[in-house]
Amino acid sequence: MNNEALKELLYKMADDLLILGHRNSEWTGMGPLLEEDIAFSSMAQDKIGQSLALYQLLHQLGEQEPDTVAFMRHARLFHNCLLTELPNAEYDFSLIRHFLFDTADALRWKSLTQSSYTPLAQLAGKVRGELRYHTLHANTWIKRLGSATDESISRLQQSLNELMPYALGIFEPSPFEEELIKRNIFEGERHLQAQWLLGIESVLNATELRLPDLKSLTPAYGGRVGKHSLHLQPLLDEMSEVFKLDPTAEW
Amino acid sequence: MNSLDPRVNRLPSVGIPGPIQPKAPLDQWGTFEVFVQPKDGKPFQHEGIVHAPDLELSYILAKETFTRRFTCVSLFVVDTRHVYVSPTTEGNISVADVLPTLEQTNDDDFSFEVFMLPKRGKQHIHIGAVLAGLPQEAMRRAIEKNLHQGKVIFNLWVVRSKDIRFTSPEEKELWITLPEKKFRDAAEYKGGEKLKTFLENYSR
Repeated sequence: MNNEALKELLYKMADDLLILGHRNSEWTGMGPLLEEDIAFSSMAQDKIGQSLALYQLLHQLGEQEPDTVAFMRHARLFHNCLLTELPNAEYDFSLIRHFLFDTADALRWKSLTQSSYTPLAQLAGKVRGELRYHTLHANTWIKRLGSATDESISRLQQSLNELMPYALGIFEPSPFEEELIKRNIFEGERHLQAQWLLGIESVLNATELRLPDLKSLTPAYGGRVGKHSLHLQPLLDEMSEVFKLDPTAEW
Repeated sequence: MNSLDPRVNRLPSVGIPGPIQPKAPLDQWGTFEVFVQPKDGKPFQHEGIVHAPDLELSYILAKETFTRRFTCVSLFVVDTRHVYVSPTTEGNISVADVLPTLEQTNDDDFSFEVFMLPKRGKQHIHIGAVLAGLPQEAMRRAIEKNLHQGKVIFNLWVVRSKDIRFTSPEEKELWITLPEKKFRDAAEYKGGEKLKTFLENYSR
């Protein structure tokens, strides 16, 4: 059986989670308050744990060791969407990214509980508690800050406007869409995007925030085929700096 | 600033050098009490506090602050201002013996959750619920119903059940997490062992 389609799906999911997990971990020790710092760091760790589980599935399909895959690839070999690699700005930016990405991520995993690829379906069952927390965390903050003060609303709105084209880039179609759907491995990006839109709309409708007109936006594609922004390689260099000092070291 | 942590070097410079201005009073969020159930069948136990802007966010922040490492099946939170506290006793004197006597009433307007302190220096443990009108009455009824099982107890808390943010049955899946996540435990890195091996090799 040809596994290219499956591998592409696993790589983009794993890379999304690794890169956003690393980005979010940059808040550790710098979060807006102690409890939120702990929660955000813990979710970042969840994401990196989920990426590890996916790299392990890839390893079983013949790819290299998880550490090698995570730390030794050049940016152009990463399949994460551009949304995940953008550098952190202020906390509103990270909260909106967390909300937009994690809503899609939770729906993706939920649909994968039905995947015909059993190891992935089993993993989807195992991570559902984490995803429930991530979306509860994101939705509660967005609802609260999205209807709190003029400052909180305008900050979130600005970040939402800025990040929406990148969020649409999560759903960049894969060359294997039809094959994945036909083999019942994954429901496909187009269906996922429709579900995602309903999900974020239902949260935003409970706030003062307004969803930008999607027709006026150009999705920021490219990440899935290795065309990244200038921000990814510095992230990878920093993330792998210690590992590369001695790749054979035992941790 | 020059730091080994690249994140610190990226921080914008903030503030102006000079005398430190005093902080505005009361510029922090209020506190919420967190109760955790470690296993099905075990009682909820007071675990600590979190700061939060409201009850729902206190629940969310409490989840990662207190249950990200150890086994947990459920938690609940309540605004500290909604916790009614009995006098505290010491030695062999039980709170059961020092509660003020009240006029008996038949009020049962509210359900109150009851917590006892079995040992000084330990945390409060949930021992059940009673119906009452006022908190003082709830404490008295908890003792009458012998929720403390005749033990010497040093303090009682009662909280109206309606003031508590509980975990719903569907939310219990929050604690289904990857069991292989041993990387969350500091002990898993076996730092001491590795250091010992390194020092042994190094001293040869």
